[in-house]
Amino acid sequence: MEEKTKRYEKIEFLGEGQFATVYKARDTHTDDIVAVKKIKVGTRAEAADGINRTALREIKLLQELSHRNIIGLLDVFGQRSNVSLVFDFMETDLEVIIKDNSIVLTPAHTKSYILQTLKGLEYLHTHWILHRDLKPNNLLINDKVVTRWYRCPELLFGARQYGTGIDMWAVGCILAELLLRTPFLPGDSDIDQLSRIFQALGTPRDEDWPGIKALPDFVQFKHFPGTPLREIFIAASDDLLEVLSKFLAMDPLKRCTSTECLKMDYFKLKPYPTPGPQLPRAGGNQNNNKNPDRTSLKRKLETDSGGLAKRLIF
Amino acid sequence: MEEQGCPRCKTTKYRNPSMKLLVNVCGHSLCESCVDLLFIKGSGGCPECGTALRRNNFRLQLFEDANVEKEVDIRKRVLRDFNKKEEDFQSLNEYNDYLEMIETVVFNLTNGVEEEQTKKMIDQYKKENREIIQKNKSKMSKDEAYLDSLIEQEKHDAEFRKKILLEKELEEKNKKKLNKEALIDELMFSDMPASMIMATHKAATTETKENEPVQKSATHFSQGMKVGFQNMMPVPLEEGEAYQHVSITIEMCGPSLPLEDTLQSAGYLKNVRSTSDSERGGGFESRMACHRALQDALSGLFYFPGTSCS
Repeated sequence: MEEKTKRYEKIEFLGEGQFATVYKARDTHTDDIVAVKKIKVGTRAEAADGINRTALREIKLLQELSHRNIIGLLDVFGQRSNVSLVFDFMETDLEVIIKDNSIVLTPAHTKSYILQTLKGLEYLHTHWILHRDLKPNNLLINDKVVTRWYRCPELLFGARQYGTGIDMWAVGCILAELLLRTPFLPGDSDIDQLSRIFQALGTPRDEDWPGIKALPDFVQFKHFPGTPLREIFIAASDDLLEVLSKFLAMDPLKRCTSTECLKMDYFKLKPYPTPGPQLPRAGGNQNNNKNPDRTSLKRKLETDSGGLAKRLIF
Repeated sequence: MEEQGCPRCKTTKYRNPSMKLLVNVCGHSLCESCVDLLFIKGSGGCPECGTALRRNNFRLQLFEDANVEKEVDIRKRVLRDFNKKEEDFQSLNEYNDYLEMIETVVFNLTNGVEEEQTKKMIDQYKKENREIIQKNKSKMSKDEAYLDSLIEQEKHDAEFRKKILLEKELEEKNKKKLNKEALIDELMFSDMPASMIMATHKAATTETKENEPVQKSATHFSQGMKVGFQNMMPVPLEEGEAYQHVSITIEMCGPSLPLEDTLQSAGYLKNVRSTSDSERGGGFESRMACHRALQDALSGLFYFPGTSCS
């Protein structure tokens, strides 16, 4: 154990979240650059309960997962009462890309990002894992605020049992954000979030969504007719709008699964998705392929697995 | 911001977007329709302060604060008489004192401070300086003269450019004519094939054209695209290959699972609790739990330590 703490040399501080602090570090054995996520012990009361359970979940799950679009957990080590996780180092996250207005996102780029996300998600879902916190900036550090903007209506209505639809909704919001270059539904409270959703997509009626009234926190909303997606995303192609409407279907059981989505026309048709190494980089210097074989293919799902994946509980 | 409204009829910009507020010398505003109504005879008193006003003197209120309008009016009037220029004074200090005096006069008239006294002072000033005022009124100030010279210069330049352009056009025409003649001559007397002569000739003319600098038109405006968008264009086209979905195969290491679709038809679902309404609403179905339980039960059944499954 003592050896492992010495194996990784801190290079710089990357960020801090509710549960962890993340550092950029060098693996002295292989000379690779890695990210070390040190789980916070928390307050005295929390420390008495032992290590954070979400961290344990993350370790347990990531140890068993292996997919090119899901971040690789390279190592885990403990030091006194601390636990640290070692990951592949990722250059950037999708939020940075979306906000950098010197970067032009072509339809092929967008397709590539969404495709990579879906591939990772399909893998998680077939292994009965829900991500539950998909959002563009999931750079290992997260959970500062439970991200409301990517939350689906059933969770906002307090659903306790839910399915893979919650992740698909988040992907829909991310796709919309890639197109708009600004968050699609930035609600400032749970109620505001729901009303934004319904204003944009129309209030569902009982027959549109069986069981909606049985949800624990259900509230009847004013009837909004909703705006056709075509009018919100005026530059989007038909096949893209079709996928988007499947992602953002109000009834979770009518939302497509990741496998169904991957089989849709949008991913087959032109423009073909941009290969990972050619995707834009942060800082405006596009196509700067310093180490094309490493990071960029995985970059997108750094977003995905950085979040604390949680097992689907039945 | 406070809503602008007419003090007489109380209408506001909100209720009548086409409302226009007018103002006269006293600095009290009225809307257009009130002015039409009250000053139908051409003159009358201000409904606020009773000052006699003429209808012709009403003008559009530009500033929200009507007092500013009043000051602008007064200043205009005062400056008509107080029209001395810097060169009329011996020193800068004297000129500054004079400007200071103008400000005091304008302030006093606008805010009704010592009005009578100020008016007397103006009259006195007028009497004392009648000659200079008259002289300055007829004389153009330095500034105005400068502006005039600028305009003149611009006119001159424009004419000059036009002339040059005309000359150039004429020259071009002549050149074309000469070229044509040369071509015809060559075609007539040379023994080279006609097509070759045409080709060389064409090449020669295009070359002369290319050598000419591209004249920027006088009205050349920025397209406004450059700021912040330098790397906007051209967007390189980076396309990869078409995506083909490949199903994920799960390493079962055990008997194969019944297909998800057959769970219902094969009766598996009879043995699990049916989906409740709130579960249905949340996007959960007992079919999922059943599927997972089967997978859990069957996977790894054929596994023995030290042997490989596949």
